[in-house]
Amino acid sequence: MGDTQQSQPAGTGATAAEAAAELAEIQRRQDQVIKAVLVPVWYWWVFAAAIVAIGAARDSHVLVVQAITIPLAVLVMVVLIVATIPTWRRRVQVNSATQPDGRAAAAIIGMIVLVDGVTISTVISLAANHVPHPVTIGCAAGAAVLVITGPLVNRYLRRLMLSQARQQRNDAPQAGVSAP
Amino acid sequence: MSTARFDELIHAPTRLAIVSLLAAAQWADFKYIRDELGLSDSNLSKQLSTLESAGYVEIRKRFVGKRPRTSASLSNTGRQAFDQHVAALQRIIARSQQGANGGQAAEAGRSILGR
Repeated sequence: MGDTQQSQPAGTGATAAEAAAELAEIQRRQDQVIKAVLVPVWYWWVFAAAIVAIGAARDSHVLVVQAITIPLAVLVMVVLIVATIPTWRRRVQVNSATQPDGRAAAAIIGMIVLVDGVTISTVISLAANHVPHPVTIGCAAGAAVLVITGPLVNRYLRRLMLSQARQQRNDAPQAGVSAP
Repeated sequence: MSTARFDELIHAPTRLAIVSLLAAAQWADFKYIRDELGLSDSNLSKQLSTLESAGYVEIRKRFVGKRPRTSASLSNTGRQAFDQHVAALQRIIARSQQGANGGQAAEAGRSILGR
């Protein structure tokens, strides 16, 4: 392997080892950009906390608590959702060819349906059995699903975007090396 | 379809990092590039100017409120040069691997003939 890495094709100015290092660097930078456009882990925890806050406020049956907590939690959720809109990402905008496609949308919708389904079904079943604080417990169950599935969806999106970027790179060029 | 072409301008480590970052993005803020690559303002400006002179990078200056904001993006020429450079790198590795396989085959042939 050592010998082959030293071989330097005429007119290219790079050995195989340098070429491999350059490709690794390119991959690393691509990963960096994709990571920057995906939501961080704390995002899911803040969103989950807002869901639990709504549930707890609802169960408190205190009008003042509801009047303050619910609008505040909804505001936090709206801000978090708006922050994920690509045009709001001011520092960097991922390449359009790398942007998530239908599979990504399906994963996100699936996660939302799962969180809502768990929350609503838990609340209904607990309320039917006259368990105290059904909305709080139901929202906590939905929030737990969110903090588990959120990072998983993130990981899936990252893998999807990286594979799209790799495919785009492989599709673009053809033919042999020529000197500049 | 473009041909593989090794690009000495992109090959330089700092410029490779900048172009790789921009290749993954539609555009990126000056500050983002600087922070992610750990470059100084002057070094990044210098490298971006070099890439801009070659027609590889487009610099956009705009105002967000009263603050000036500079962002950079790869031009079509730059993106094509980057794709060609990546293809050239892949080609170098493929040739090297072919050479290694050829060398092993030749060695195996010699050992058979030597018996």
